[in-house]
Amino acid sequence: MPESHAEIETDELARRMSAVVGEAHCISDPAGLSVYECDGLSHGRIRPRLVVLPASTEEVVEVVRLAHDAGVPLVPRGSGTGLSGGARPTPGGVVVALSRMRRVLEVNLEDGWVRLEPGVINLDVTRAVQGRGWYYAPDPSSQSICSIGGNVAENSGGAHCLKYGFTVNHVLGARLVLDGGEVVDLGGPSPDTTGYDLLAALVGSEGMLGIVTEVTLRLLRKPEATRTFLATFPSSDEAGEAVSGIIAAGILPAAIEMMDTLAIQAAKAATGLNWPEVGSILLMDVDGPLAEAEHTSAAAIGIARSAGALEVRIPVDEAERQLMWKGRKSAFAAVGRLSPNYMVEDGVIPRSEIARVLREIGRMAGEAGLRVANVFHAGDGNLHPLVLYDARNPGEEEKAAKLGGDILRLCVRLGGSITGEHGVGAEKAAYMADMFAPEDLETMFLVRCAFDPEARFNPDKVFPTPRLCGERPGPYRPHPAEAAGLVERW
Amino acid sequence: MTATRPARPDEAVLGVAPGAVAEPATVEEAAEVMKGCARDRQRLVFVGGGTDLGVGAPPAGVDVLLRTGRLSRVVEHSPSDQIVVAEAGLTLAALQRTLAAHGQRLGLDPPGAEQATLGGIVAANAFGAHRTRFGTARDLIIGLSIVRADGTAARGGGKVVKNVAGFDLPRLFVGSLGTLGLITSVTFRLHPLPEASATVAVEPITGGQARALVVATREAQLEPASLMLLAGSGALRLGVRFEGFGPGVRQQTGRFSGLVQAAGLRGELLDEAGAEAFWARHEAARTSGAVRVRLAAPPSALEQVLAGAVAPLAGGLGQGWAVLDPWVGCGFAGGTPADPASAVAALQRAREALVALGGSLTLAAAPPAVRAGFDAWGAPPAAVEVMRRLKARLDPEGRLAPGRFVGGI
Repeated sequence: MPESHAEIETDELARRMSAVVGEAHCISDPAGLSVYECDGLSHGRIRPRLVVLPASTEEVVEVVRLAHDAGVPLVPRGSGTGLSGGARPTPGGVVVALSRMRRVLEVNLEDGWVRLEPGVINLDVTRAVQGRGWYYAPDPSSQSICSIGGNVAENSGGAHCLKYGFTVNHVLGARLVLDGGEVVDLGGPSPDTTGYDLLAALVGSEGMLGIVTEVTLRLLRKPEATRTFLATFPSSDEAGEAVSGIIAAGILPAAIEMMDTLAIQAAKAATGLNWPEVGSILLMDVDGPLAEAEHTSAAAIGIARSAGALEVRIPVDEAERQLMWKGRKSAFAAVGRLSPNYMVEDGVIPRSEIARVLREIGRMAGEAGLRVANVFHAGDGNLHPLVLYDARNPGEEEKAAKLGGDILRLCVRLGGSITGEHGVGAEKAAYMADMFAPEDLETMFLVRCAFDPEARFNPDKVFPTPRLCGERPGPYRPHPAEAAGLVERW
Repeated sequence: MTATRPARPDEAVLGVAPGAVAEPATVEEAAEVMKGCARDRQRLVFVGGGTDLGVGAPPAGVDVLLRTGRLSRVVEHSPSDQIVVAEAGLTLAALQRTLAAHGQRLGLDPPGAEQATLGGIVAANAFGAHRTRFGTARDLIIGLSIVRADGTAARGGGKVVKNVAGFDLPRLFVGSLGTLGLITSVTFRLHPLPEASATVAVEPITGGQARALVVATREAQLEPASLMLLAGSGALRLGVRFEGFGPGVRQQTGRFSGLVQAAGLRGELLDEAGAEAFWARHEAARTSGAVRVRLAAPPSALEQVLAGAVAPLAGGLGQGWAVLDPWVGCGFAGGTPADPASAVAALQRAREALVALGGSLTLAAAPPAVRAGFDAWGAPPAAVEVMRRLKARLDPEGRLAPGRFVGGI
């Protein structure tokens, strides 16, 4: 018999959950819960009622059934490295952490796939197969700690998705637990399973459709050769021109990354790299069969030089190459050395607008009296402006948030997006209405309703106005958020 | 309100005659048609070039046939951003001509490019030999505009390649066969036209040899743009195409030829005319025969696919052909059977074999006598109930292409 959210005591819920996952894996003490108050987006903490750590699909099914019967919302969570608050707890809800489900279940290299549990760490997928010359392509900067389940929820990208695509291009199948405990398998290792591409709807749905308990990923044979170079430029104008020229020449680089002066300073401080403090640095990988990689690398270097590169550096060995990439991948964290606080933004613009947008961001930052470091995936126009501020100065955090929002609106105005890879989560729900019309959001919401009509999973994310699905089966029960006057039904 | 006209006899959809035909010239007119049909509770089927109309089951009924052919504008092509926004009724060939003038292309090459429209290609998930390299529409679509069953215009995705804002409506519509809404425009990411292209043909070759050669090609870190096994009368023939810059293509063809030789097979680097003829033969096969099917199974099952599916189809369909991409694990087969009963028996045997391998067989074309004995989709997939719920949310009255899709959706 279903009970309303208000009726069940947390102690009773904990007792029931413990019976499923074991007492040691049901966290209810304040110190234990505080770890789960936020993900990689640290502001706006919310303490969950409980955190449960199931170890199998069967346990997830039982947890979901209990939550369904008790009318309690669930928030799935991987490693908690997300940067948009997608795993932020829902008030009164239970966090389902999948970190105990980290087995690699099956590897099939002839057909090029691996089946695994969602808690497996991104880099561990490649580690499992690299001895035989294979790898998993999507490489978010957090790949040494982020989980595949989280990557599926956020449709994670990374530096190399310019050539190889995003998580959605590499997920072949998933096992999904729906509200009420129904288990469905979507896709699979064989191509072209019949029916709607529900898997595509699942990837990037930010934990709002159900809980993924198994994933089948495509694996790729490592390219024969990778050629890397770093080019320095007086300003982002010349660097932007180089990027446009390289693309116009028909070259599809594996990655082209761009950093501005502040980001260069931060990376140097963190890694000890001897990069010059120029206006802009491009770091580029091309890969593929040896002759193709050598040809395109030489052509790209020529284009960078004629666009005004001050210097082109080619790593002498793999160690130096890794160090260059370390400088790039550590840039986010390194900015912490330049400023007591900073916000990571994630917007997308048409690649051809790079130089113009960077100038505009500089102007907006000047007006706000703040500094912005820019690190981004230049090949696909995915900006990561890092807004530096000092929370000890009254009003500065608000100013930084406003600047971040203004940058996202600029991206939308130019035909871009409010997020290229970090997701909408809790943080950017308010900006969805800048990018999409009410009809667009309504259509997306109908998709959500097909999977999760009672909004059991991660109910308060992505959509700017919290809403509930119509036509619920069975007798009417107010959703906790509805009862609290936070949402309206439609 | 856009006027409708009576349907011509050749406008029947798998034998089901429409009550009327609408040919809107603008997206706004299309939305008006949809609203009118919503008001009058009329059932709709959308048609682009009609090249893949044989995919799926016949509709339960068609009150209005909406033809998208007049929605044929390139809305925006940004060469420097490598994206294009185009209306759904634009033909693939017309799009490729526009793009080629800027040294670019869309990485999709289903047969019948002069007729096939972008909306139809997305709705039917149509693809050709370039799937080896570029995947399907799912891998290239970045945005779309639709009109829902109730006449509401909406869009998903965007105009930039990298974008994770909101649920992925564009990919959800790939392969939905007009059952979720009318696609009015599509946005794709583009690729540069290659500087060089070369095809190596290997003949004769057995299924086992082809499978081993695919494994060796992957192990050699080669990156083919197309890899296709042609089965017809006579021996199997494998064509492998490499594309890119001149030095890369030369190195790859050289190394692939070395692999062929090491396997004790005979490979021939085709000249331009020979390569063109090879891929034209592939395309001609794809569009021939009264019965045509799509096949899928894991690449490692190539020999079982040949023995368990292609062989019975060759017999049962009469002068059968098959083309298989053993890199991806997909393919097509067809023929013109003399006797529907033997065709149905062969289709059933082939489907059983593929399903047992974890794959599938779906109808892409068949006369009524064959359809009467053979379901277009086969057993519904595991998640069919969720699919029904999705359909019920987007088209609650079931008026869009009713009965065309999996599980009677």
